[in-house]
Parts: sequence; C-alpha cells; structure tokens
Amino acid sequence: MSKIMTVDILSSIKGAQPSEAVNKLFEVIKNANTTNNNTFNNNRNNAVSLDSLRDDVVIESASVEKQIIIENFPKEKNGYLVVSKVIEE
Amino acid sequence: MDSQIHKIHQQLVNKDITCTALVQEKLDALKQNTNNTVNSLLDNLALDLAAKVDAKIANGETIGLLEGIPFGIKDVYMVQGTYTTASSDLLKNYKSAYTATAIQKLLDAGAIPLVKENCDSFGHGSSSENTIFGAVKNAINPDLVGGGSSGGSAVNVAKDYTIFSIGGDTGGSVRQPAGYNNVYGLKPTYGRISRFGLMAYASSTDCVGPIAKSIEDIRIVLNVMSGKDFKDQTTYASAEITQDSILTSDNIKTVGYFKNFIESDAIDANIKADFLAAIEKIKAQGITVKALDFFESETLVSTYYTLAMAETASNLSRLDGTNYGNRIEGDNLKDTYAVTRSENFSEETKRRIVGGNQVLSQGFSDEIYLKGLAIRDSIADNFETDFNEVDIIISPVTPNTPPKIGDSLKDPLAMYLSDAYTVGFSLGQLPTLTVPQGTATGLQITAAKNNDELVLKFANFLKDTI
Repeated sequence: MSKIMTVDILSSIKGAQPSEAVNKLFEVIKNANTTNNNTFNNNRNNAVSLDSLRDDVVIESASVEKQIIIENFPKEKNGYLVVSKVIEE
Repeated sequence: MDSQIHKIHQQLVNKDITCTALVQEKLDALKQNTNNTVNSLLDNLALDLAAKVDAKIANGETIGLLEGIPFGIKDVYMVQGTYTTASSDLLKNYKSAYTATAIQKLLDAGAIPLVKENCDSFGHGSSSENTIFGAVKNAINPDLVGGGSSGGSAVNVAKDYTIFSIGGDTGGSVRQPAGYNNVYGLKPTYGRISRFGLMAYASSTDCVGPIAKSIEDIRIVLNVMSGKDFKDQTTYASAEITQDSILTSDNIKTVGYFKNFIESDAIDANIKADFLAAIEKIKAQGITVKALDFFESETLVSTYYTLAMAETASNLSRLDGTNYGNRIEGDNLKDTYAVTRSENFSEETKRRIVGGNQVLSQGFSDEIYLKGLAIRDSIADNFETDFNEVDIIISPVTPNTPPKIGDSLKDPLAMYLSDAYTVGFSLGQLPTLTVPQGTATGLQITAAKNNDELVLKFANFLKDTI
C-alpha cells in the first residue's frame, strides 16, 4: 500500500500530467500569508450539525425512474446489464 | 426593462395571445438561432404544457403568474426524461431519471421549459467554449464569447428566446455571462435554493441562479425556487421577498467597494472610469461610499480554483462509464474507467480533475488544500467585518470586456484570472446580482449572507440612479 500513486492513476485519466497554469495557482496558495492556519479550529464549519441530520428513509423510485436508469446503462446482453471484466490485484 | 412575466401573464389572461402560439414562436426562434445556445429542445413537452394552459384559460379558470411562461434550463439540471449532457461527450446520451427540485418548483408553478441550454462542460469554463455543441456566441457581438459557464442561458434571455433562464453559479457562472450579454443574473445566498438535481461541480459554492431582463422577474423566479429541501441538507428556509419591499431603499446608507479591484493593472481603462463614474452618481444621492481593503485578485482566484478543483475531482469521480455515460471498454475494469474518462472528458475538465487530485494527495493537501480552506475562512471573516461597516458592496463584474471566440482556450491561466471579481463572493457564499448597468459588463451588487432582498432593493435604486 506504500505505492506512490501518480495523478494519472489517481484521476483515472491516461497520461495525465499536472498543468503549468494550475501549478501557478497552487504556488500563490503556498506563498500566501494566513493568520489562521488551522481550519478545523474555527467556527466556519459548513457541515450540518448532528442534531439537524435527517433520518434515513427508504424512498421507492417511480417505475419511470427505474426504466430510465436501465436505459442509461451502457451495455446489455440477453436481458442482463453488463459491467467490465473485474480483475483482482 | 419592465417585467416580462407580468406582461405576458396579462396578455394570456386577456386572450391577446395564446400560450401555444407564444411557445411555438420561442421554439422556432431557438431552432433557427445561430448563437449555439441550444443543446436540446423540449418541444413536445413545451407544446403539451402550453395546450393545457390554453385549455384552462378557455375554461375561464384562473392561472398563476408563472403559468405558461417559457423558460430555459442550463444543461446541468435534471429534468426527468430529457437529455442532460453537461455539454460533455461522456453524458451526450444521458437521460435524467428525476427532476431537480428548483426546476420542479417552476414546473409546479406552471412555467414551461423550452430548452436545455449550452454551457461549459460540467461548468468548467468562463466562456462557454468548452462544450461539444460549439462555442456560444455573444448576444451583442457574435464574434465574442457568450461568457460562462451559463453562456447559453444568458444569450437566450438577451435574445428574447426565453423569458428567463436558470443558470448555475459556482464562481461567477451566472453573473459573468449576464454581464457579457447585458441582462440580470443572480447568485443567491448559498443554500437559499436547493442544489438537488444540479450536476455537482464544487458543492460548497454551487448555486442555482436565475437570469432575466428585469429585477422583478428575478424576484418572482427566486421566490418560487427558494426554500428548505429535504434532499439538500445545506438549504435553509427563507421568507418571500415581496414586490413592495424592494421598491424603496431608504435603509441603504453606506456602500463599499474594493479599492484593489479598481487600482489593479488588469482592469480595462473604460471599465475603471465607468465604475468610478457610477460611484460618483451614488454619492450624489447622499449615500456614503467607502473604499475597502480586500484580498489580492491572485489570492482570490487561486483559493477558489484550488477548492473548486478538489471538489470537482471528487464529484466527477463517479463518471466512469459503469452505470451510465459513454463507456469505452478497455482490457479490464480499471482500464475501462481510464479509457472512458480519457476519451470523454475535455482538456479543461481533465486539467481541473488532475489539479484537484494533486491538491488532495498526501504531501500536498496540507500546504495547498487545507491552506486554501484557511484562506477561505479569512475571506469570509473579511466580509463579516465589511458588512458591519457597509450595507452593500458594489464591484465591476469582470476586469475586461468579453474576449474573442478562440482566445480563452489558448490561455487557461488568463481565463482563471478573468474571474477575479466574481469568485470572492462565491467563497463567501454571499448573494450577488449582476445588473446590466454602470460598465460595459455591468455591476455586481453584494449584501451580507441571507440578505438577497437588500441586493434587489439596491438594484432598483441603481436602475433609477445611473
């Protein structure tokens, strides 16, 4: 698990390389002065509080919704929806 | 301009026009348009709905204000049974299985959807050139870009192809095209309108935003779409903004602007002069104007893009061709993911996904991503202090006039920097409206969080002032 993952692997994009334009933006952040370096210790937490979390509910999809989901599936054979060959590493 | 919605409503009620004729006229105009604003037309749906409105009127039934009003939808919103492509190869044949909350509310109010509108793919762009449907051409000068990412929506409104359109604004994607095409475009307070069914770009700043030709039409559409939604836990309940409440602006005493925006070398000389002239006219009305300090444009743009790229890398990781999308088979599952994504994402989308994965990866997250979050907090603190001193902040929408089609794609960094005046308000999650006045690309009006009403009030004041 100590394998270093490059951005092309992380992004699942063949031959992907970091871009020069984007790296320039990141340099600005690295060099910026901040008065507050610990974002977890402040009061700007955008997360929903535990008390306001909604309950888990199961909502049955309408039949038209199910039909469209099936239509969107990329590959079908003999009435089955086909995924790509899964390999184990 | 006066409200188009009120005008058409009256014409329908008086039987001066039929809804079917109105919808047909707009569909014909959209079909023939050469600005590349259309990804798909919803002609059957629209004409069916129009016939129902006509039948209701013929039966002497009362119709609601939005009933029969034709509108456009940026092609990143789910509308059940319609193609929702995000202007991408990956989803070019994707059909929505359900309808976005904001759009459903408009449908429930009787508004008639005409068109899924061209935009930058997944919202990734500021020019609406990053699309498989051809670059959107500006409504005023077709050699120039329509702006982005909600370019098709702003051009459709400007050309009267739609009465209003629903765009999406993550870092300026409603406000900038509105400015480029001289119409109104609102990014409401984050959470005022549900994001459920809006294809996620950067979830912490994504906002649903109306584009229209009058403040009144923005108000009407905003009211209908607002509200808490069980399906988006970041939404909050908001009070309706009444027509009367935004007519007077007596409580606006102090207006601020960011002096570094205006003193920047990057701003066009005319935009600067026009902005300063607008400030003088506001002062002449007895309002105090304060010059405020703010973060450098480079810091704002870099913070926004760092966070937006990180979020889009996560949000778009689901697009792998397994359950939906244009799957291209590879040697095995992992290879299929990689080939599908490599072949189907545009260069700009790939650049942002890769950038996002860079900042989220071990060794980079502390010095870039987490630091970006910390800067965002400082920006929000800065706004909080400012709104203790001023009621409204006004700013130009863009440093420059719209570029020629083809120029933005050559220089992504220049495109990112062109968002300098819009991204800060997104990071602050503040309500901000583009008005087609003051400079060649308009002015932005911003108020404190949840104070969308004050933004519309000040817009009405400006309409009569400059």
